[in-house]
Amino acid sequence: MHAKGIHSHLVTRMPTPNADASAALSDLSSSLAAAVARAAESVVAIHARRRIPSSGILWRDDVVVSASHTVKRDGDVPVVLPNGERVNATVAGRDAAADLVALRLETKAAAAPRASGDSLRVGSLVLAVGRPGQSATASFGIISAIRDDWRAWDGTRLGRVARLDLNVYDGFSGGALVDASGALLGVNNSALARGAPLALSADAVDRVLAELLERGHVRRPFLGISAQPVMLAPADGDDQPALLITSVAADSAAQRAGLLVGDVLRAAAGRKLGHPADLLDALTQSRAGEPVQLDVLRGGTPTSVTVTPADRRTGA
Amino acid sequence: MSTPLLTAAEPAALGLTALGASLKEAVVEVRDDRGRSGTGIIWGDTGLIVTNAHCAPRNASCRVGTDDVWRDAGVLAHHRHHDLALLAAPHARGPLLAIRDPDSLRVGELVFAYGHPLGINDALAMGILHGVARDPRSGSPRWVVADVRLAPGNSGGPLVDAEGRLVGINSMVVNGLGAAVPASAVARFVERVLARRAA
Repeated sequence: MHAKGIHSHLVTRMPTPNADASAALSDLSSSLAAAVARAAESVVAIHARRRIPSSGILWRDDVVVSASHTVKRDGDVPVVLPNGERVNATVAGRDAAADLVALRLETKAAAAPRASGDSLRVGSLVLAVGRPGQSATASFGIISAIRDDWRAWDGTRLGRVARLDLNVYDGFSGGALVDASGALLGVNNSALARGAPLALSADAVDRVLAELLERGHVRRPFLGISAQPVMLAPADGDDQPALLITSVAADSAAQRAGLLVGDVLRAAAGRKLGHPADLLDALTQSRAGEPVQLDVLRGGTPTSVTVTPADRRTGA
Repeated sequence: MSTPLLTAAEPAALGLTALGASLKEAVVEVRDDRGRSGTGIIWGDTGLIVTNAHCAPRNASCRVGTDDVWRDAGVLAHHRHHDLALLAAPHARGPLLAIRDPDSLRVGELVFAYGHPLGINDALAMGILHGVARDPRSGSPRWVVADVRLAPGNSGGPLVDAEGRLVGINSMVVNGLGAAVPASAVARFVERVLARRAA
């Protein structure tokens, strides 16, 4: 090797005005490197698209989670484990709203260590760890914002997400967001918020993952109506927000329940409705497949309609 | 009120200030004949300055400056493969940066870039090591890749570790990542030129 030549230059050291301060910087540097090494032990490479592989996280010992948009095919997907072993995985389910995919491994490997809840805070030092190839790579920054009830593009409530002040490089979507000890905080994604780096919290991922492993997709309650917010002005009281039904889809749950265009929805399962998202929340809260009571104003007369939401994906 | 996080972060922040101050002694600004600006590293008391070849064209004059004192510097040697140039600047004196072996680098460790990005003199940038790109045939380190914000003017400047050791010479930005010539390659280049001169 050329080491001899290099060390001939180790003649003088740089002056260090404050030894303690320099040691603190070195310590920080060492602990960040150790955190990346720890996290990398559960970050895998997924070969399911052209150009560069994407990253995934060993969420359970036989389940890998990644960003759905980076896994371009279903069925069998080659996965390279942190130890370099190439194994086969099958797509167990995916959800476009959360942009998550669950892969089931044919072997077992060590799942990522999870962080305690309180390290997901604004200002926390974080590392994004990916494996867009053979070796793990990382970027460094802080959590810049937390949203507790973030909604996806289709209105679905996804739960807690972190906005990140760091760079998400090519192949980093689906990789791990970890704290300064290397413990898992969430899944990085650059596609959920128009390119801005975002991480879905581990709790939010858990909820989606449970459904993906159970039935391959996430059930989204679907009535088959469109509605717009209106303000009711009763003679004897305050203004009340409500939803006016503007269309009812054929063969939908709404049509089966007898809902009509022009009906005004005031509440669902006891929850007041001021915005279409309120209805979505009320339907999501009630258990899938169970009937929901709607307070309806039809031709000025209060009435009650019971509707059983269908699964948007299967229609059943 | 001081929280545990702050007490842990404060010494590190002081270390950062000290690192910036010591790097200032080790670099110069390099300007080519068209006025384009880059950064150069003073190679101890050898009277040599290392920079990128694209900052110091072979058949042109270039000037090196510290604190607005400018002098001419001759181009002694070029290394096209590694985009390196060695300038003769007999007046230049600085601390000799220790060389960090690229094989000992760990992904995630702190790295710092020092230079003159976009005309901002003596700018320090912090980031972490992203990876080491290797030559596919020889397997030797080709680029030290860092998650650090670089801009034109950082070229030729040092990328150092938390202890101020030279990790590489910042040369370009690829997909938002900083790419630096490994310090070992820089040291070999300088040694070869020095040996040739001695012979």
